Amino acid sequence: MMSKKRIPMLLVGVAILLVQCKSASDVEPDDENELITTVRLEFSPTNVFTGSQTFTYRDVDGDGGNPPTKFDTISLVANTEYVMKVIVLDESKNPAVDITKEVQENADEHLFVFTSAPASLLTYTYNDKDVRNLPIGLSGTAKTGSPGTGTLRVQLRHQPPISGKIVKDGTPGPGSDDVNLNFNLKVK
Amino acid sequence: MKRTLSLFCLLGISAWIAVADVLAQSPDCSCFIQGIVRDEHSGQPIVGATLVLVKSNQGIFTDAKGRYTFTKLCPGTYEIECRIVGYQARRQTVDLTDEHVENFSLAEDEIHLKDVEIIAQRTDSPITQPLTMLTGSDLAQTRGRSLGESLQSITGITTLQTGSSIAKPVIHGMHSNRVLIMNNGVRQEGQQWGSEHAPEIDPFVATRLSVVKGAAGVRYGSDAIGGVILVEPEELPIDKPLSGEVNAAGFSNGRQGAGSATLQGSIKGLDGFGWRAQGTLKRGGNIRTPKYYLDNTGISERNYSLATGYRRGGFGAEVFYSHFATKIGIFSGSHIGSVTDLINVIKSGEPLIKPDFSYAINRPYQQVKHNLLKGEIHYDFPDGNRLKWVSALQYDNRLEYDLHASRNDSLAALNRPELSFRLTTLTNEILWDHKPLAQKFTGQVGVSTLYQYNVMNGRPLIPNFDQWNVGVFGIERLVHNGWELEAGLRYDYRRLTTYRIIGREIKTDIFNFHNASGTLGAGRNLNDRWSVRLNMGTAWRAPNVSELFSNGVHHGAAAYEEGDATLIPEKALNGIGSVRYATEKLTIEVGGYYNYIRDYIYLKPQAEPVLTVRGAFPYFKYTQADATFKGIDMNVDWKLNSHISWGSKLTYLRVDDVRNDSYLVNIPANRWENQLKSTWQEVGAWRQMSVSLTNRWVGEQRRVPPVSDFTPPPAGYSLWNVQWNGTWPLAEKRHLELTFTVDNLFDTAYRDYLNRFRYYADEMGRNVSLRARYVFGK
Repeated sequence: MMSKKRIPMLLVGVAILLVQCKSASDVEPDDENELITTVRLEFSPTNVFTGSQTFTYRDVDGDGGNPPTKFDTISLVANTEYVMKVIVLDESKNPAVDITKEVQENADEHLFVFTSAPASLLTYTYNDKDVRNLPIGLSGTAKTGSPGTGTLRVQLRHQPPISGKIVKDGTPGPGSDDVNLNFNLKVK
Repeated sequence: MKRTLSLFCLLGISAWIAVADVLAQSPDCSCFIQGIVRDEHSGQPIVGATLVLVKSNQGIFTDAKGRYTFTKLCPGTYEIECRIVGYQARRQTVDLTDEHVENFSLAEDEIHLKDVEIIAQRTDSPITQPLTMLTGSDLAQTRGRSLGESLQSITGITTLQTGSSIAKPVIHGMHSNRVLIMNNGVRQEGQQWGSEHAPEIDPFVATRLSVVKGAAGVRYGSDAIGGVILVEPEELPIDKPLSGEVNAAGFSNGRQGAGSATLQGSIKGLDGFGWRAQGTLKRGGNIRTPKYYLDNTGISERNYSLATGYRRGGFGAEVFYSHFATKIGIFSGSHIGSVTDLINVIKSGEPLIKPDFSYAINRPYQQVKHNLLKGEIHYDFPDGNRLKWVSALQYDNRLEYDLHASRNDSLAALNRPELSFRLTTLTNEILWDHKPLAQKFTGQVGVSTLYQYNVMNGRPLIPNFDQWNVGVFGIERLVHNGWELEAGLRYDYRRLTTYRIIGREIKTDIFNFHNASGTLGAGRNLNDRWSVRLNMGTAWRAPNVSELFSNGVHHGAAAYEEGDATLIPEKALNGIGSVRYATEKLTIEVGGYYNYIRDYIYLKPQAEPVLTVRGAFPYFKYTQADATFKGIDMNVDWKLNSHISWGSKLTYLRVDDVRNDSYLVNIPANRWENQLKSTWQEVGAWRQMSVSLTNRWVGEQRRVPPVSDFTPPPAGYSLWNVQWNGTWPLAEKRHLELTFTVDNLFDTAYRDYLNRFRYYADEMGRNVSLRARYVFGK
């Protein structure tokens, strides 16, 4: 119940509330906690002393807006074994956020999946394991087949526990895509 | 000898008629009925109300003191129709052939049926537009459900759902910003633009839920294109004894429980005061489809409201405060990162994770709080003029938590929402009801203003904004010779300012919108069985900030959506007509409507997809077209005998994009509901006991634009429902009403086109519920 005296008090309270509120013109910059702007694939041949090659996807302003500034075609030598490393960055922030590190720290809920089409073009083997002995894919071995052209799909599956239950099982099934890129692949 | 008939009005007034000393002279036909018509809110007599004796079509008006008299009546059963302009019409049967026949020989000046007092509750809605109301027992049978679901039994009303816990009402195929909700006389201002943003209202606050179908832009301003939903508590119990109501509902599915209590009364020694306090608790866990539980689909809700008022003479003041707080788990299987994810879910046909039952609400979830503080002052001048001022402050706080917290552990530990909206709205309305002119014209002139600002944080979605809106309107009503005519005009001006960060600078955009709306309506009772009603109205809606500026992937819909800052307001022209045929045994009401919307705003699929780091997404852009919404609502109620009745409700809707000769997406499928019901006035200790069997058939939506969706609309479905309802009078002013219901009796697995989670999972399976309503003091 409100007495007559309380009504003005309440109104004053509301007025204070209004004054304390932030106004719409105080805009804070967007904060997307999962933004990934850059995916870099580093291929180093295992038994030839040539330098490593890097292929990049980069879209600094995130989804939409300007189109990606870089989306390289992966160009590799046939019948060659490469050590393949993935680097993931958020370059919209300054300095850029190294998401590779965060994936490494939460390796038990992340899985990279590499799928080439046609499948004979490239075969991938995981070289890293998380605490539960399941693959991660930040580092692995890629072996090219005979010459041809196709695509290499790079997926980062985010597989955090659902309602407290661990879901990562080493397969791509659980979770959702944080990265899903179809690089053009040329094997010469 | 006094006898009180209590009745409830389906159309909009609740009236208490006290029939005293039912005396009539037989066979001389010199009986008469007289009485007074009063406004329940102010207690003031209503001048110029029409009273019609239905069979004879004899009509009279109330005089300057609100009094009326029918003379030279023969004994018999009379049906009086009271048409009170600005209120909803009501019929009441008066029996002049009861046990008092022996008194007919009494002296002439005592031979009358005196003081049939009609106390009418004002319904602030256009009189020539269809108005359907849920009150009393009908409302009690929906208790525990959300506002959107509660209205589903009304023809023409469907829901837009996000899973089972988020339901938005859809009127004639329109929802969100095209449907306006008036919560206790105040425009509800939350984040309505989002299809997964349910109305922030506790239906337990209301004792009446009404739906005005069709464009009602003149009275209500922007957004009232498809219709208006009125959520209204009953009048405050000024100088009335303590009374209250306790509602409890338990549901097997989700093991959900809801309880609500209301206590109201006046203050001893303080004349003219009344108060009410009300609170609701609701808790539910994982919903079960026929085959599996849906992970993280629990709900938790805590609401309360307080009201107090004072009335003396023509003066009245009222303060109302309500607080709504909910936490809703979002089905975790609906989280997708890319189109590939969505295609995989659709292919597998069921969710990957099938958990056990749990009450826990984890990420992703929504947490919404809505506060409303309303003050109202009115004064009824002795000459019949009436002035009212309503001022309201709303604060809506919506937090959305995504499935994934930040990858950065220290940030994740803060458990911050990924989206946060804070919307503050101040509305004011001043209404002047002028005194009846020539006992025929009544009318209302009003000014309403709105100021609001929105502050948002998190991932990019909509910009911050503030906006002003001023509207001026006038509506005149005329009741003459069995005709009811209504005409009105309104002008609105809106100024919207948005604030965005573009390249580290704040960019301010200013939008000015304005619009004139009009309404013209007529109603006529042709005879005691037939009546017709016709209304033409316009309404408008300014584009909202999400339509102007959204730019990003709509998660869950797997679509890249882009706004367009050059959009102009939508304008609707709505024609709605209804024919009603009513006899004792059979009531048929057929309504048809045609709603033409110029510059209808919708998401148009674009040819090229948008490439993101999560792959290519189909690209949709907010575009304008011209749309027509055509439909039929039909209601039949046929009493087969004294116990059994058959009810049928048909909702037919067809929507076309006439500019591009195409269809529009997300239009509810046609539906037909049939009910067999058996009613008994008295069975043992029970009163008004009924058993019903209902079938709801929903068709498949075949009118969809080509290549606009990842999967075709789901097949049609048919659901069965059984219900038992009974009232147990415990004492003179205390009763208990019980309702036992089984929804989806055969545990049918189905999906609905208007559920945004139709890609991911089936709808809710069988749900057994028990509702109890205990009322005392009234």
